[in-house]
Amino acid sequence: MEQFKIKAFGILAEKLPASEFEFPYYEDSEKLVNKLKEKFPELKNLKFSLAVDKQLIQQKHYLNGNEEIALLPPFSGG
Amino acid sequence: MSRFERQRILPGFGREGQEKLSRARVLVVGAGGLGCPALLHLAAAGVGTIGIVDGDSVSKSNLNRQTLYGQKDIGKPKAETAASGLKQKYPDIQFEIFPNYITAENALEIIKAYDLVLDGSDNFGTRYMINDACLLLKKPLIMGAIYQYEGHVAVFNYGKDPINYRDIYPVPPQGNEIPNCSETGVLGVLPGIIGTLQTAEAIKLLSGLGKNLTNKIMFYNLKSCSFYEVEVKPNSASGKDIPENEEAFRKADYNITCGLAENIGWEKALDWSRNLESLMLIDIRKPNEEPHFDLKGIVKIPMDKLAENPGQLETLDTIILFCKSGQRSLRLAEQLKQKFPEKKIFSVEGGIMHSSSPLKTENHGT
Repeated sequence: MEQFKIKAFGILAEKLPASEFEFPYYEDSEKLVNKLKEKFPELKNLKFSLAVDKQLIQQKHYLNGNEEIALLPPFSGG
Repeated sequence: MSRFERQRILPGFGREGQEKLSRARVLVVGAGGLGCPALLHLAAAGVGTIGIVDGDSVSKSNLNRQTLYGQKDIGKPKAETAASGLKQKYPDIQFEIFPNYITAENALEIIKAYDLVLDGSDNFGTRYMINDACLLLKKPLIMGAIYQYEGHVAVFNYGKDPINYRDIYPVPPQGNEIPNCSETGVLGVLPGIIGTLQTAEAIKLLSGLGKNLTNKIMFYNLKSCSFYEVEVKPNSASGKDIPENEEAFRKADYNITCGLAENIGWEKALDWSRNLESLMLIDIRKPNEEPHFDLKGIVKIPMDKLAENPGQLETLDTIILFCKSGQRSLRLAEQLKQKFPEKKIFSVEGGIMHSSSPLKTENHGT
């Protein structure tokens, strides 16, 4: 079974096992995010966007399992 | 020989690039961790007119990263201090100072007069507001932001299919979604890097050099020394929360709080201050700040003194802060709430300029 390579940035890396980790395959981005939130409930309270193979996705996106997923939170500091 | 000789002899930049810079007008919002390196390099490079918006004053904890200030500047207003230091070094540059925070009421008028805006602000409310203002005015915006050891940079409202902040993050974080409201740690050099990257994009855009970071957001991680570029397309759904026109913009509410401190109205604030024990109603404005406002039961402690020495509030149960417009007091209330989570801490909405403030409803000390 394919595993996603997930990269987490900013505060998300603190709430996940590591800034890079593997995660089981789900067929679309919505399912993947829901499963991530289920497994790591602290994500529910954090806003972030998703990139698939370095392309920001703005709606449901079908996945084949070979993609690199990036979880990108906004930063506010200056 | 001109002080720009080394830029003029650069292939691809030359006399023409230099002339474009000298005619350019750039606005830097926030003269903090990102703003300091940006201002320094914009001025050094010869950007003809530089606007600086910042209502804050220098505090000791700024000095690890806000490199235009030193020990002797603590307590001084940032916008003026930054401009006067740079003016001494570069008398050929014009500085325009706005020693107040940028708000939905003043943003459009300030931004209109510039060719490009560099966002060095430190909170989401201001970031969304600047984004929307630049979008309405079609001004290129160079966004930069940091979190601990990471930062990101993007160029908005520029290029063929321009993007803006809401294409990446359509709606502002609300309440407990705020990833980072607290005063968090930051290694001083990080905003130095991000602010300098923003400035490089600004100089390129103004002079027509190279290729800008358009339709992308670039993440930088200091600990791993790595960059991660993500492509961004315009998002048709991202525009629904953007004010339609300038009038709607001025009325839009960009106050995003961490859900920690609460706003209250004057009526409640005054009622409680008369009737509750162990409460303090505090005017956090600077000494001598206009308008003059005196009322029985009010304590005056300037914001920086309170932030420096919050211990003086230790024995209180309830703290109500107010300032001129309610922005500074809300921010300070949020800060204090993190230090004293068990206390009830409020900010008076709209401050003393609010239509229901005693200053407006009665004749107090004017």
